[in-house]
Amino acid sequence: MSQPNLPTPPQQSTPQPEPEVQQQPSPVQSQASPQTQTLAQTQTQTQTQTQVPTSPTSAPENPASVSLVNIVTAITTDVPPWQLNQHLKTFAPKEVRDVVLASLLPDGQDPLSLLDMQANTLGILHILAARLHTIGAPNLPFEYVAEFCQTFVPEQARYTPEKVTLLAVGIPLLAEVAGNVALAIQPLLHLLTRYAPSMSHLTTIHPIFLRTCVSTRHFAAALPVLAYPITIIDTSISDLSYNDNLVYHYAGGMVYAALKRWTAAQEFFEICACSPGSASAAIQMEALKKLVLVQLIHEGKTTPPPKYIHPVLPRLLKGTPYSAFVNAYPDRRAELRSIVEGELVFTTEKTLGLVLQALERAPRWSIKKLTSTYLTLHLSDIARAVGIESVEEVRGLILDMIASSEISAQLSADGTVSFFDPPVTFKKEDVDRVLARAQEQATLLACLEREMARSKEYLTKAVKGKEEASWGAMDDDSGDRMGSGLGWVDDIGFS
Amino acid sequence: MMDVDPIDSEIANQYTQPPRRRQARPVDDAHPFDLDAYIASRTTVDRLLAITASCPSIAPQALKLAFNHIYRLRDTSLVQAALAAYASAATYPEGQGLPPPGDVVVVDAAWVEEVTKKNLAERTKLEVELKSYTNNMIKESIRMAHRDLGEHYRATGDFASALKHLTKSREFCSTSQHLVIEQRNYSHISSYIYKADAALESTTAATSGSAEGAATAVSAQPTSKKPSPEREQVQSKLDFAMALSHLGQGNYEKAASLFLRLDPPDQLGDWVGKLVAPGDIAIYGTLCALASLSRSAIKAQLLRNPVFSAYIEQEPYVRDVIQAYMSSDFKTTLDILSKYSTRHYIDIHLGTHVNDVTQHLRQTAVVLYFQPFETIRFDRMAAAFGWSIEEVEREVVALIQIGQIQGRVDSQNKILRAKKTDHRAELFEHAMKTALDIQSTNRKLLLRMRLQQVDLVVKSPKITLKRDQTQNLLDSPMAIVDLS
Repeated sequence: MSQPNLPTPPQQSTPQPEPEVQQQPSPVQSQASPQTQTLAQTQTQTQTQTQVPTSPTSAPENPASVSLVNIVTAITTDVPPWQLNQHLKTFAPKEVRDVVLASLLPDGQDPLSLLDMQANTLGILHILAARLHTIGAPNLPFEYVAEFCQTFVPEQARYTPEKVTLLAVGIPLLAEVAGNVALAIQPLLHLLTRYAPSMSHLTTIHPIFLRTCVSTRHFAAALPVLAYPITIIDTSISDLSYNDNLVYHYAGGMVYAALKRWTAAQEFFEICACSPGSASAAIQMEALKKLVLVQLIHEGKTTPPPKYIHPVLPRLLKGTPYSAFVNAYPDRRAELRSIVEGELVFTTEKTLGLVLQALERAPRWSIKKLTSTYLTLHLSDIARAVGIESVEEVRGLILDMIASSEISAQLSADGTVSFFDPPVTFKKEDVDRVLARAQEQATLLACLEREMARSKEYLTKAVKGKEEASWGAMDDDSGDRMGSGLGWVDDIGFS
Repeated sequence: MMDVDPIDSEIANQYTQPPRRRQARPVDDAHPFDLDAYIASRTTVDRLLAITASCPSIAPQALKLAFNHIYRLRDTSLVQAALAAYASAATYPEGQGLPPPGDVVVVDAAWVEEVTKKNLAERTKLEVELKSYTNNMIKESIRMAHRDLGEHYRATGDFASALKHLTKSREFCSTSQHLVIEQRNYSHISSYIYKADAALESTTAATSGSAEGAATAVSAQPTSKKPSPEREQVQSKLDFAMALSHLGQGNYEKAASLFLRLDPPDQLGDWVGKLVAPGDIAIYGTLCALASLSRSAIKAQLLRNPVFSAYIEQEPYVRDVIQAYMSSDFKTTLDILSKYSTRHYIDIHLGTHVNDVTQHLRQTAVVLYFQPFETIRFDRMAAAFGWSIEEVEREVVALIQIGQIQGRVDSQNKILRAKKTDHRAELFEHAMKTALDIQSTNRKLLLRMRLQQVDLVVKSPKITLKRDQTQNLLDSPMAIVDLS
């Protein structure tokens, strides 16, 4: 956990170094002056003196401090990490800071080579973040970053979440320069697993990691992260935006869909589509479309989304070919096919893959429906009901479905198919496991409820609610008071 | 339900529409139908026109009768409508041999012109009257003028205007209701009935209250003239109207219970004969009941209902239908129904619903029949219902798919088997599934809660764009990857 008294760092956008911004070595600074030319190679020298930032902490405040050597010294001296972080964030104006941090030492030495990855995690983070995002910064070996991701000290890194974000953003870029974006996956994974206090925390690294996995099609690599559902959002650990949550769950859905793990894909797409908000994002619409398709593939029908979904989304979906596709699914195959062939939307929106999978599985769902109506049926009857011309094709399909235990049936030589009820088997362990999990959940919920009942927000609202209700009770009956009391609980939980 | 917007031209259209689903209704020995007897009790030209349009075999006869009636009325548009209906009858294959309309009736052009003129004159007169009353602000006279104008429009067939004026006049609501039923605009009936009910309430209150109260309440005005037994009569008229509106909206169960609760025929007053015959009520009530109610409900509400049996007396075959149904003799039931199908199809209120009602009845019959069996061969069912084996199979499969029959079909051996459910396994399965569902829902909701707690919610990029959601959607941040 981060230090509680740590001030929330100001949001820092990616530094955009501009050529006109000058780095001026101080004339009084003896050790730096001869080498400053090399130090700020990319910069043109001017005479203007950069303004010394106001540093509230114990950091040295003279202009001389604006040099990498001093900074390296500051990093290596033994000060509390939060103090160091404060210093590193404020020793010079933003642009200057990044340029200094991204530079080399006067003697051409790489400052990183002087620093210890474990002891100086915080300093290295600052230098890495600056170097990854400064144009013309000295070459940063990919291996160094990869090693850092494996060895850094998370506790230190958590003092400066925004630098971690910058590092994470920079890793895929660096990997691209190194020739293969997929190289970024491993370092990102290390960074993520080590930085997050627990795997249930959402960090800004999550969406970056998953996007890298998805865009390089290394879907399986994402599974260790996806296996832990996100339950904790802590903005002091990571400077999250709502988009991080959306992108993470959307990309998670993509990973699972690509691996054909439909149940999990459904859950991720649903989380993305149903994330709270006063408006709806385009990515949520995309998630909803994919959710619908995945549901068709996996269950043969759609289930209505939870009612807390933003109402605009289902309404928008209604006008699209997706909706027409869902309505015709699975029995009207000719119509389905004409929708798929007639619409370019699926290609332009890159959902054609899922659409085709759904289309391919349509006859299976039709057959499955038949099993609940019939005990025996001839292959030709099935072919007619499903709308497939050749009996052989149906035979193959049914054999495949029996083999994958989608249906339990028997195919006799004369072409009669007999359906059975699927055997239901339960082991005691299964039941026990489910029970244990349910109890776990109940405890968790009870805890949360107690926490909530203690929270200041709830108490103020509840007290206010009670006052209002007692006013209302003068002309209403007491049943109404109950209602408003419950309303408050809902209010806090879901709105 | 037919969309009847009672503007003259549309009435004509309605009959000239090429019959898509409607077929010509045969009238022959197998489908007995006595036109004279049917019409004798009612004088609605509408019904005759409906018959003309759908039964080629008796179209000339019906057309002649219709014209006899039309000449007694003042609605000239009906002449056109009648001719159009006849023409549409002639389009049926069975109607090819029909004599041209000129041979059957002679359109009296002079009459048409004269009546049109007279109508116009009267309307102008009434409108002038209304205007002057409005100027004089005499409430009572305005009301009367509205009523007169409404009655006039009604007589000349312009139901929309009539309704407008009658509503304005706040005449005792049963009048405007009567009108709504005539134009078969079922969806409107219920709202009028509520109004009328309210009017009734206020009436009773007013009459029991002081005399001044009655004088001030405009809606209570007519009641002061009406003695109390008439109140009951109006009430039963309202009940009937309500029942009819339920039937019109395909709400058979409610319609059935309302029909079965109707008061004896004499309570309906002048509506009997003018609007509906007791026999009709018997048919409507019985069919709705058979289609929607359970056996025990039918027994309690229909068979042991002395009032309703008075209605049934009017149409003896209805009694046969009920008897056959109650003794599970479904073959006879369906036979009788199909025998009298013409009678039902050409009824203006029932016509559009016969198919639905019959379908309901067939389904309940099949469900009832299968109930005691664990397995049954289709040929036995076919014999019991008088259907072919394919028909039985089709019906049964449809019922299984909508969940009415818990069974499965052995299509090879043509056997229907009841489904055996292992309740214990089912329970376990359900419990496990619910557990998983709840867990995942919990997780999702908790995440949602956390997101909201730290205000990590989706926001519009700019406040000005808030209205324009599509704009918002254009700012997609995500590279989309195809999963093919």
